Amino acid sequence: MKQRVLWPAAVVAMLALAGCGSATGNEPPSGAASGKLVVWDWKSSDKTATAYVEKAKADFAKKHPGVTVEFVAQPFDQYYTLLGAAIQAGKGPDVMLFNGGGQIRDRVDALVPLDQYLSPDKERLAGWDAFTKDGKVFAAPVTLQGHPIYFNKDLYKKAGLDPQKPATTWSAFTADCAAITKATKATCFSLGNKEGAGIQFFLSALGSGIFSPQEYDDWIAGKRDWNSPHVKQLFQLWKDVETGGLNSKGGNSTTMFTDAFGIFQSGKATNIIGLMSDIGHWKDFNEFLGPENVGVMKSPVIAEGAVPSLPFDGGIGYAVAKWTKDPALAADLVRSLTSTEALTAFYTDAGAVVSDTTVKAAEPAVTSLVADLKTGKPALHVALSSKTIELMGRLSQQILDGSVTVDAALKQLGESDRS
Amino acid sequence: MPLGDFTPLLARPARAGRADGPATVSRRRPRTGGLSSERLSPFVLIAPAVAVIVLFRLWPLLLGVNFSFTGDGARNGSAVGLDNYAELFADPLFLGALRNVGWLVLLLPIAVAIPGMLATFIYLRVPGHRFYRSVYFFPAVLSPVIVGSIFNLLLSFDGPVNSLLELAGLGPIDWLGDSDVAMFTVVGVHIWATFGMSLVVFLSGFATLDPALLDAARSDGASLPQVIRHVIIPGLSRTIQFVFVTTMIGMLTSMFGLIYVMTSGGPGGSTYLPEYYIWIQQGQMNRPAYASAASTVLFLVMLVVGLAQVSFLRRTGRED
Repeated sequence: MKQRVLWPAAVVAMLALAGCGSATGNEPPSGAASGKLVVWDWKSSDKTATAYVEKAKADFAKKHPGVTVEFVAQPFDQYYTLLGAAIQAGKGPDVMLFNGGGQIRDRVDALVPLDQYLSPDKERLAGWDAFTKDGKVFAAPVTLQGHPIYFNKDLYKKAGLDPQKPATTWSAFTADCAAITKATKATCFSLGNKEGAGIQFFLSALGSGIFSPQEYDDWIAGKRDWNSPHVKQLFQLWKDVETGGLNSKGGNSTTMFTDAFGIFQSGKATNIIGLMSDIGHWKDFNEFLGPENVGVMKSPVIAEGAVPSLPFDGGIGYAVAKWTKDPALAADLVRSLTSTEALTAFYTDAGAVVSDTTVKAAEPAVTSLVADLKTGKPALHVALSSKTIELMGRLSQQILDGSVTVDAALKQLGESDRS
Repeated sequence: MPLGDFTPLLARPARAGRADGPATVSRRRPRTGGLSSERLSPFVLIAPAVAVIVLFRLWPLLLGVNFSFTGDGARNGSAVGLDNYAELFADPLFLGALRNVGWLVLLLPIAVAIPGMLATFIYLRVPGHRFYRSVYFFPAVLSPVIVGSIFNLLLSFDGPVNSLLELAGLGPIDWLGDSDVAMFTVVGVHIWATFGMSLVVFLSGFATLDPALLDAARSDGASLPQVIRHVIIPGLSRTIQFVFVTTMIGMLTSMFGLIYVMTSGGPGGSTYLPEYYIWIQQGQMNRPAYASAASTVLFLVMLVVGLAQVSFLRRTGRED
């Protein structure tokens, strides 16, 4: 009788164990041993990236014919959530795409330092800083991301201003804006701060117009004084631009991606702090305004002693996961993904300003952007941790709607930055 | 009692199916060892269900709670005691999210009253009630993402709602960009999107209401408010309770989509709910252990709210 009871119990236990096994998964670990590399990104499914991925795959296949490469495109808004789960589990893709700055620096524990593998590319590619932590490089830059101020030349002409000579001082800049608003009703800036991205763009685009070169370099190096008069001036300017009516209305409820760009593209705003790659960049604006009407400028001088420069960093780059079987093989794939041929395709199809300095630019707006790269500096907001950036986004919204003062916001930001 | 009747029924075919030997054996055996077999078999039979619940529900829950006492980043994996919880309750953003949960509880009566009132009017056959009955249900079949996108357009600063307000001589309101207004906007849209389901529940409740009571009240000369107060509400008390509970659950668990699409938690974190906070901490801040601590707190909050509702239901159920 005991046996009869035990028998179904054993079946149940086996079933439970079988269920357990299939849930936790015994699939073979991805890696070089199985002759396959898995890449995670959010780009490869875009039509504009097809040629880029093909070129990179072909380049890698030449070097390692036996290894297959699988690209898994994740939705961008879920990307870091999924990646976090993979990191927590200690297994996942061999190679993965990262945004430069906080997003990769927060996760270097899960990555392989790539200095020894990528040294031949050090000269050819730009934008390494955004993927470097404590002197070690963790990813190879694919695109450059920066925050130029784009302006609508057509509106300048309508107001009787010379679009070839944008203002170089803040007072002249606001005077131009006032003239354009009077003539065309277009506001000075198009602002989208629903995601809290507006303040990041503002900080980086206009920071070089306020900070002295020394202050700027100190900020990037991590010596940030949130109580300094120039930091305060920058955040006060954020508020004053809003209260002065220079921004498009309802900035806190307007998305940067892509409503704010839409306002600029439809000629309702004269200037926008945009991007260099991916989206909200010269190529997007060219389509709506025509290449001849898209101008690019650096920050006007807002405080004496400032030397305006183009803020740019490595935009996105490929890194190698710690758990991959053969880091050298994965690093080779990263090198293929940043080969000149692949990056040329990416520039041509997606309009991204790529990290490879040998890729030739043709469009007028890009030509002036590329010219500014030589004197450009890393963007101010990229130096901040993602925690501080998130806090800055929220505080910037509160500054705009008046529920927090500039001083109180800077106090909180200083505390967050130091912790 | 039902279990006693139930088990032998199930146990017998199982035995018969296996018994190839003489029938006498299986008949004799229950006399000697049958008691323990019959006692054990119910446990064996519920074992798969229990195993599934323990393995896939309770065990992960305990792992999650255990995980919330460990650190993130540099302290990954090491025990940090209550540090995560201390940080959580010092974070104004999380406290704001809990305060917003409080707002949801306070706004609950409105979320129940609206479908209740509309169902009453439909039940009382206002002109066009058939039309309204289907129209009110429409939003309930839309996904929150679509509802959010529709209202993003309607409520944008230069959108149609503000244009109408301006025509009426009222200043534009930044519905989703003002931290004092945004939470109410999102809750309002959530109520709009979900009240259709409650309305249907109310209508089915009305089906059980005795029309003779209404006729009697009317012939006694009761006004509409009096009819509602003294006939309809008492007659529908069970339905009202049910709608209260389901609406509360809906508000606490399914606002994420709307918040994600409409405000992204902003402006200034004023529309954060615990769910959204957990998602941000895990996904954007890469702090899974800290997010586990927030999840544990949310679980406790839900437990308290749930238990309070269950006891409330028991109490009112007894009155009936």
